[in-house]
Amino acid sequence: MASGNVLDGFSLEGKCALVIGAESAVGGAAAVALAEAGAKLLVASQEPGTDKALKEVAKAIQAANGNKTTTRTQNAAIRAELSATADLAVNELGGLHILVNALDVPAFGPAEEADDTSFERIIENNLKTVWMACQEGGRVMLKQGSGSIVNITSVLAERGVPNAVLYCAAKAGVLNLTRALALEWARRGIRVNALEAGWLDDESSVAAKDAEFGKTLLKYLPDNKLIKPEELGGALIYLVSSASSFVTGESIAVDGGLRARV
Amino acid sequence: MILDSLKLDGKIALITGAGRGLGRAMAVTFAEAGADIVAASRTQAQLEQTAAEVKQTGRKCLIVPTDVTNSEQVNAMAAAAIKEFGRLDILVNNAGGGDDSAARPIEQITDAEWRRGLDTNLSSQFYACRAVLPQMVKQQRGKIINLSSGYGLRGGKHNYMYVCAKGGVIQLTRTLALTYAQHNIQANCIVPGIFPHGGENEQMMKFFKGGKFIPVGRLGEDAELGPLAIFLAADASNHITGEFIAIDGGGLAGGISPTGVVPPSSH
Repeated sequence: MASGNVLDGFSLEGKCALVIGAESAVGGAAAVALAEAGAKLLVASQEPGTDKALKEVAKAIQAANGNKTTTRTQNAAIRAELSATADLAVNELGGLHILVNALDVPAFGPAEEADDTSFERIIENNLKTVWMACQEGGRVMLKQGSGSIVNITSVLAERGVPNAVLYCAAKAGVLNLTRALALEWARRGIRVNALEAGWLDDESSVAAKDAEFGKTLLKYLPDNKLIKPEELGGALIYLVSSASSFVTGESIAVDGGLRARV
Repeated sequence: MILDSLKLDGKIALITGAGRGLGRAMAVTFAEAGADIVAASRTQAQLEQTAAEVKQTGRKCLIVPTDVTNSEQVNAMAAAAIKEFGRLDILVNNAGGGDDSAARPIEQITDAEWRRGLDTNLSSQFYACRAVLPQMVKQQRGKIINLSSGYGLRGGKHNYMYVCAKGGVIQLTRTLALTYAQHNIQANCIVPGIFPHGGENEQMMKFFKGGKFIPVGRLGEDAELGPLAIFLAADASNHITGEFIAIDGGGLAGGISPTGVVPPSSH
């Protein structure tokens, strides 16, 4: 725990952070939140061909804390690339204290129409990438003897949704992977936690893409509001900072109360 | 700036069970984060000590001796807080606690013991929420933080009243969250693991074995709880409601095998 004022425990001053999947709205907002709280960053993509989006995030980070940030376009489904990214973080930043995995490719469609390629693709995009990123980031953190990993998943991890069976399975996989990994590394200085996002208010979100679905959803949400990507920031800062030094294997849902309802 | 959203400047926080242990630690830590404090518990002398520590941070502290199992006293507590400060932003329902002598075979538990167990750990929180919510609705702003326990989510041998009450706290919290979401009032639970409070109880410390059975291999420190309470009291958590957050060194993430007992590798 940081001494002095209790609020100092939330600061990320002097911390080195890697965000993977920073080209998405959630990943980009996560990177900016970490930067605002004082962290030095490397921002990496989930998918290739995303240079422009990463540069935008780097610009937003510079606006937040004045720092120039290295971006790395990669394919997070390829282990060698993740491995190189983890090493780059250490070389560029001088360590790796924080890893945020914002790896997510939503997939909706009828179960009976999903073929084996759909299974492999959806599980790879949403679960295997997280697993490999945890392993590669973990490799560095285990050597260091410390670190905090946050896997961003979805409230769909704990509830079923029709037309999204494989996506739900992958998101649940991330949640329990988080718990098991937290237990395995509990005595090696690495905390592993999850953040469950509610239905998102963003152009990339299914709630925005389909007006009728979005409207129905809004009525169902306890506070009638979708979650903006930047609204995940508070919980993220809590989980990655020393403010949560006794928290591991836990998940925090930022969902406006959705998970509390029947 | 995201770190500003964790400050409690200008907020009024009412904390029950604030005469000692975690309650006192939270009162002082909330004051450090900028809040003025209303400290409630049964014992005046303990509250005075809390108030002295709060005032060292430069914040105000009103003390209200209160038996939280008595709803009239709880109503008076809320009224005194609102009279003094004109508003009430945060309620922390921290009062309560286990009673080891109450954990006995079910046929030995009397009606009075059952009721007392539920009153101490569940009714007390219901009374306090009921007492403060009209003011929070008037403000269209408020934060409720209820202390539950790992026993609110898992069972414990012979531990009927505590387990039922703490499980009830989680359901009370969810119901408040849904009911008051549209009034911009958030209700959440903290689920603490084991915090020995400076090791004041020798017998319990022996039982805790330094936290060997906790995944991270140690007990919680009182100072680690404050930041979670602050996060849930501050604007940084405005989109989190009806949620419980475990702060337990990984305890609730596991439980399928004893800590330290690992299935042998098969590859």
